[in-house]
Amino acid sequence: MSEVQLQISDLCKTFHPGLFERAVEVLKGLDLEVMKGEIFGFLGPNGAGKTTTIKAVTGLVIPDRGEILIGGHPHDSMEAKRLIGFMAESPYLYNHLNGREYLRFSAELLGMDRGEIDDRVESVLGQVSMVGKANRKMRTFSKGMLQRIALGQALLGEPELLILDEPMSGLDPIGRRDVRDIILAQREAGVTVFFSSHIIPDVETVCDRVATVIDGSIRGIGAVRDLLAREVESYEVTFTGLDPREVVTPLLAAHTGSDAAWVRVETDQRDDLIRELSDRGARLVGLTPVQNTLEDLLMRQYEEGAAS
Amino acid sequence: MRTIRVIAANTLREALRDKILYLFLGFSILLLASSKVFGILTVGDQDKIIKDMGLAGIQFFLMLIAVMMSVLLVSREIDSRTVYYILAKPVRRWQFLLGKYAGLLATVFLNLILMTLILLLFVWLYGGGFDPRLVLATGMIGVEMAVLVAFAMLFSVVTKPILGSVFTLAIFVVGHVSQDLWLLTRHLPGSVGRTMASVLYYAVPNLERFNFKTEVVHHLPIPAAAIGWALVYGSVFAGLVLFLACLRFERKDLL
Repeated sequence: MSEVQLQISDLCKTFHPGLFERAVEVLKGLDLEVMKGEIFGFLGPNGAGKTTTIKAVTGLVIPDRGEILIGGHPHDSMEAKRLIGFMAESPYLYNHLNGREYLRFSAELLGMDRGEIDDRVESVLGQVSMVGKANRKMRTFSKGMLQRIALGQALLGEPELLILDEPMSGLDPIGRRDVRDIILAQREAGVTVFFSSHIIPDVETVCDRVATVIDGSIRGIGAVRDLLAREVESYEVTFTGLDPREVVTPLLAAHTGSDAAWVRVETDQRDDLIRELSDRGARLVGLTPVQNTLEDLLMRQYEEGAAS
Repeated sequence: MRTIRVIAANTLREALRDKILYLFLGFSILLLASSKVFGILTVGDQDKIIKDMGLAGIQFFLMLIAVMMSVLLVSREIDSRTVYYILAKPVRRWQFLLGKYAGLLATVFLNLILMTLILLLFVWLYGGGFDPRLVLATGMIGVEMAVLVAFAMLFSVVTKPILGSVFTLAIFVVGHVSQDLWLLTRHLPGSVGRTMASVLYYAVPNLERFNFKTEVVHHLPIPAAAIGWALVYGSVFAGLVLFLACLRFERKDLL
């Protein structure tokens, strides 16, 4: 059985914005386990609690209740912090430094030896494709360049757990591909990657497992394929020998082609339709589950959450 | 210790690359240079006027630098969220605050040294000779600023930058009058005003303890005990206020 890299149990957080303002319960007993070496996607709409969870893990927000363990260590211990590399949603960096100076500063905070700092900084600059631009003041950087330097500082300490909050937002397609490649390369190196993203195709592409968070608690968790398999809501059925207009079973859609008829039925009507086609002498040509996307899953969970 | 030193060095570098620092520094040099003009226009010992104005100018501009830079640099770090990447690393929150404090203190003392050298130069140029006691007076201004920067740090972690600046300025003003207020109200019968003055006297540092300007300008004796006591008083007050700042920052949610 694989080892747990990040364990979150019963995480609760309520913010009290002001004396006369209503308290906001952001996390409501969130439980999560991220295994060593996997890429774990954290999905949810704005305000669901993704960033608060990440801030709690990185020690920026103090949880009201619950436990967070990183590699078996309490998340606020120095042992745990030595295991993580973190990149925030927007790259918050110093304007008075250039890219190289900033990475050196970060390396010193990580406690690296002076002799090792320069080599490590150059290696990371290479990884994030910033070697030639790193001597410019960061105030002159584009968002994409800042994002790369922010990712660079997260990689500096060769972390066991890489925590990325929206790492691809604001990047052009090449930048997104580069970040995706870096994430995949980190997995190859045995690093666990925990990241949140709004860009669902990216999550579908790179993640081993995902969790969806709605209204401060986890609504679904598992491998992307498994989650979507549970989400088959309809089937497409192709047949010959019967006009779809004569079908008694309720259909979601129907179309008559030159060779065959095509209809779509809800999952729980599938067997009734097949039985009817068989009874009425039609020939079944094809049966295809209509797979929902991760986006459909998220939207449905969000609507369910809103309704409840 | 290395973490504190790294954060302090970065804070100093940030301050030295900030234009506002040079603006204050420029004004203070201008004031020191113009003290000769005031010396000419005023009846009395020109040398004393130059020293008095010079020391007052150093105190005023150093106070502005201490308040503005402290509140600005600490609040900016929290508001612009650069602190996220620091605290997600193996850095304790108190190390971050102490690093910022050390960096700000280094900035203040660097300016103090520069201003003191300029004052010594002007006094010498205007015929006052070399007066080493000026260094003592400016050194005690430095101790006063160390207390003030600690307050600025505390206010930076509990409130917004503008309020933080206002509160720190208020500490500066009240800190210079609290003793007089207290002495004045001692002659009053038991009243709310007397209680308030007592509260102010004990809660706000008595910044007049660091004021040796009169003694230096008028060549009065300065007991060593007064200097030692001021140093202990300043260190204890700054330490306590920093402790409170660290305590508050430890439980602060960084949003």
